[in-house]
Amino acid sequence: MLRFALTRILMSVPTLLIVSVAVFGLIRLIPGDPASLMLGDLATPASIADLQARLGLDQSVPVQFGIWFGNLLKGDLGQSINSQQAVLPLILQRFWISAQIVLVAVALASLVAVPAGVLAAWKQDTSLDLSLVAVATLLLSIPTFWLGLLLLLFFGLKLEWLPVVGYVSIAENPLAGILYLVMPIMTLFLHEIGVILRMARASTLEVLRLDYITHARAKGLTESAVLWNHAFKNAFGPTWTLIGLVLGNLLGGIAVVETVFTIPGLGRLLVDSIFARDYPVIQGCMLFVAFTYVLVNLVIDLCYPIFDPRVTAQ
Amino acid sequence: MKYLFAPAAALIATAAFAAPAMAQSITVAVAADIRSNNPGVNRDDNTDDFALQLVEGLVGYNEGGVATPLLAEKVDLSADGKTYTFTLRQGVKFHNGADLSSADVLWNWTRYMDAKTDWRCTSEFDGRSGLKVESVTAPDARTVVMQIEKPNALFLDTLARTDCAMTAILHKDSVKADGSWDKPIGTGPYKFGEWKRGEYFTMTAFDGYKSPKEGGKADGYVGSKRPLLKDVKFLIVKDPATVKAGLVSGALDMSEILPSDAVELRKNPKLAVAVEPNAVRHVFLIQVKDAVMGNQKLRQAIAAALDMDEIVAAFYNDLGKPNTSPIYSGSSYFGEVEKKGHVYDAARAKKLLQEAGYKGEKIVILANKRPVVPSFPAAVVAQQMLQAVGVNAEIEVLDWATQLDRFNKGNYQMQSFSFSARFDPAIAFEQFSGPKDKQPRKTWDNPEAQKQIDKLYVTSDRAERQKLVDELHKRVIDEVPMIFAFNGLDIIAHAKRVQGFKPWQSKLRMWEVTLAN
Amino acid sequence: MRLPAPNALVGGTLIGFLAIVASVSALWTPYDPLRLSFRAKLAAPSAMHWLGTDEFGRDVLSRLMAGAATSVWISLLTVALAVSLGTVIGLFSGYVRGWVDRTIMAFNDALLAFPGILLALGLLAVVGANKYGIILALGIAYAPSVARIVRGTVLSLREREFISASRVMGNSEAFTMLRHILPNCIAPLTVLATSMFGWVLLAESSLSFLGLGVPPPAPTWGNMLAGSRPYIGQAVWLGIFPGLCISLTLLGINLLGDALRDKLDPRMRGAR
Repeated sequence: MLRFALTRILMSVPTLLIVSVAVFGLIRLIPGDPASLMLGDLATPASIADLQARLGLDQSVPVQFGIWFGNLLKGDLGQSINSQQAVLPLILQRFWISAQIVLVAVALASLVAVPAGVLAAWKQDTSLDLSLVAVATLLLSIPTFWLGLLLLLFFGLKLEWLPVVGYVSIAENPLAGILYLVMPIMTLFLHEIGVILRMARASTLEVLRLDYITHARAKGLTESAVLWNHAFKNAFGPTWTLIGLVLGNLLGGIAVVETVFTIPGLGRLLVDSIFARDYPVIQGCMLFVAFTYVLVNLVIDLCYPIFDPRVTAQ
Repeated sequence: MKYLFAPAAALIATAAFAAPAMAQSITVAVAADIRSNNPGVNRDDNTDDFALQLVEGLVGYNEGGVATPLLAEKVDLSADGKTYTFTLRQGVKFHNGADLSSADVLWNWTRYMDAKTDWRCTSEFDGRSGLKVESVTAPDARTVVMQIEKPNALFLDTLARTDCAMTAILHKDSVKADGSWDKPIGTGPYKFGEWKRGEYFTMTAFDGYKSPKEGGKADGYVGSKRPLLKDVKFLIVKDPATVKAGLVSGALDMSEILPSDAVELRKNPKLAVAVEPNAVRHVFLIQVKDAVMGNQKLRQAIAAALDMDEIVAAFYNDLGKPNTSPIYSGSSYFGEVEKKGHVYDAARAKKLLQEAGYKGEKIVILANKRPVVPSFPAAVVAQQMLQAVGVNAEIEVLDWATQLDRFNKGNYQMQSFSFSARFDPAIAFEQFSGPKDKQPRKTWDNPEAQKQIDKLYVTSDRAERQKLVDELHKRVIDEVPMIFAFNGLDIIAHAKRVQGFKPWQSKLRMWEVTLAN
Repeated sequence: MRLPAPNALVGGTLIGFLAIVASVSALWTPYDPLRLSFRAKLAAPSAMHWLGTDEFGRDVLSRLMAGAATSVWISLLTVALAVSLGTVIGLFSGYVRGWVDRTIMAFNDALLAFPGILLALGLLAVVGANKYGIILALGIAYAPSVARIVRGTVLSLREREFISASRVMGNSEAFTMLRHILPNCIAPLTVLATSMFGWVLLAESSLSFLGLGVPPPAPTWGNMLAGSRPYIGQAVWLGIFPGLCISLTLLGINLLGDALRDKLDPRMRGAR
């Protein structure tokens, strides 16, 4: 188990290395630079050059990369060009906000969607199956920014149950903090129900068609026993992996929800820094997201044997 | 309010959301965070707006964009035009209670001229941009004397510039013992409160504030400036649709809104919408060095093909008016000559196209989709009008940073662009005029016109300056190095109980604003 | 012959309708989808404009029809790019194995760990913001998932009897690959491709919302939906109709995908 974990971590090193080189190169291919953005339409070439020199952007890209990478090995992700904050604490602070939304939403969605998916598979091709699939597809096909806005108009403006704008950290004021998170979580929750239900249904269907289910049925076990003891337990493994993928992807893609609900999370930080060409923050965020992605998948793989008895971690 | 749980409602009321519940405190939504609280150093327009509630300079702009004494009681200019004597107002205090004296001005000037400070405007005063301050002295506690190298009609204007943060006079405790920046301790009507990056920033009334004038009439950055609100919280809200929801729900008391929302929000009984023109100029830039766009007849044809009324309406609905002059419509230099600009005439456009020998070459208009600027809607309507007279126009949408990069490199055919606010005509022309080979971002490269602009910089005579402005305006209309379309509007929605607020040059001045209950 | 499964029926009908609308729009739309009308801004649905007009006074129905063609085209090309790119990489990687395989997969995982937003913005900025930029960006972003699946299938099949038999019979590796391994990838790829079709529609919309999408004025459902947001209070039809189109298309394509999988997956053949 420990060796498996260590090998996996070692294997992710080249991945992260490639990510850091690729991010560094890609953002410097994008036209536009932070210096001219900061100076605006009155910037003279001299003042832009001055500022670039001060930001260390006048050096060649390989040299810049060398400096950045050297600091990275020391655990220093540099300083934001825009806000002059240290990048790592900034990312960690924003990540915590995004993580609580994503984790709660995905956990709740799994609780609802996995049993529903199994049910749909079990009753395949009945009207129950078809309507569950239809609902799931509908949910996952509504863009989150649109869904979020509808919730905002309904619960925030029409019913006045929930606050419309702003954010309070849970640490500062737990109850108010939770109220601010309800709608973003609900948005992601509804969307992810669609995604996970379809996955759970598909993997249960595969299992249901395997021989041992037929055997179990032939042995005269009741349908519910077959479903629970054999189908559900075996189908949960692949679904669990997929939930891991969902988690990893969401951390990168939560920007939209955070923009709608003015949540100062990691996704918005990344998008804002891209528009502002805040290179150190973009680099830091991307590397961090890649790192979490790798980590989440590692944890998922390590937990896999718990859910799927057929597999043992070697 | 019908909250889900009563205790929850109470909690919310004590949290960030709560400004409405507490008297004399308001919450204002802004689209972006401030870059820093270090005035004129790490900045953008939004940062300047906040800084200038907290700090003041010797001179500041009045409503008409003229530099007027602010911390100074008066400014005297010597006969040779090179010595400015500032007499400081009496009784002005910093936020920490210290009295303002000429020594503070000297300390600030030394700090600003130090390259380590990174003040945005250092190069404006050290000779690199033509203007050089040779000495600053303080003969007594209330007098500061500034000596400049040669006469310059724009010295006070440059001191007052908002992007220089008005050359604010700070108390020296704004800087820590090791020389690093701490927080702004100024003389402004509001004191710096709290700043939670990415979430909000606040300010509170400065009880010891001494207003330059009494009487309750705000006048640009001078006039009566009493801080009548207890606290102001600026909440960062990026999405205009969320802003709108916040205004309607009462969670926000004030915000800039999209023009398309003005009509709807005006119908709301709790809200008022204030609209004021500003000095931002929306423009179609043209790269005359481009093989196609180098043809003056073609450019004239394009100008004649644009129905400016419809272009304004595409973004501002019925709120805005066209202005094809480089001089903004609120300027005192905007006279009869400036009112005459491009005239929409599709038939003439077609004729000019023929004369130009235009053969259907593709013309690409660059635009960006930031919601608060008209770049994109203006480009869509212009494209349609150009196609209507037979110009093969296309739109390329870029993100703002990329478009700005293409602007700085001069790499485009046309751009739907906005020039930031400049009050004085000399600076307004300087913004786009100059040698393209040295500064590719310049759009107008005409040595004769440049001479006239240089003259504007040193001439103080009002009539003489008006004549120069008129001539330059006519040249721009005839040569069409770019097409000015209309001026920006500040469209601010606020709760009706917020009273006395008037938008001015995109600045949300919070003095003389009160809250009725 | 049995009736087709209900999911195939519903899905097929929806997608068939979409295909018809998309082809008709190439020949005819009620109005020019790009023509502005300043007198009819944000007009509610009426006999003249069945689905109303947008903020520039353009006819929403015409734009939806034209948008169908663009959206379908973008999605199809993106999926085609991702699938072909991913299949080639996956086949090659699974075939050569060894350190080349490991290197390719390290790159592949790096791409998977890369948020699509930056990739899209980066590539759009480099190749130019147009629909082919979107196709390239999203195609490259989705190719790694395809490569993983194909490589997995190749690895699991390599040592099976019918593959060894093919080799023993003197068939070249390449022939074996194409003749025996590729067909086995079709079922999982079909499922992935149909989901991907939906992702592209959504991703294009989200990119528009964040300000990086297909440049208007050319309508796509995604940019119509994203652009409707500011007007939700005044002109709800602006968002409802493109939103509905996206949802119904996704519903159709997913149902069809499920049905296709049931038909194509060799493991499932005859299971029911």
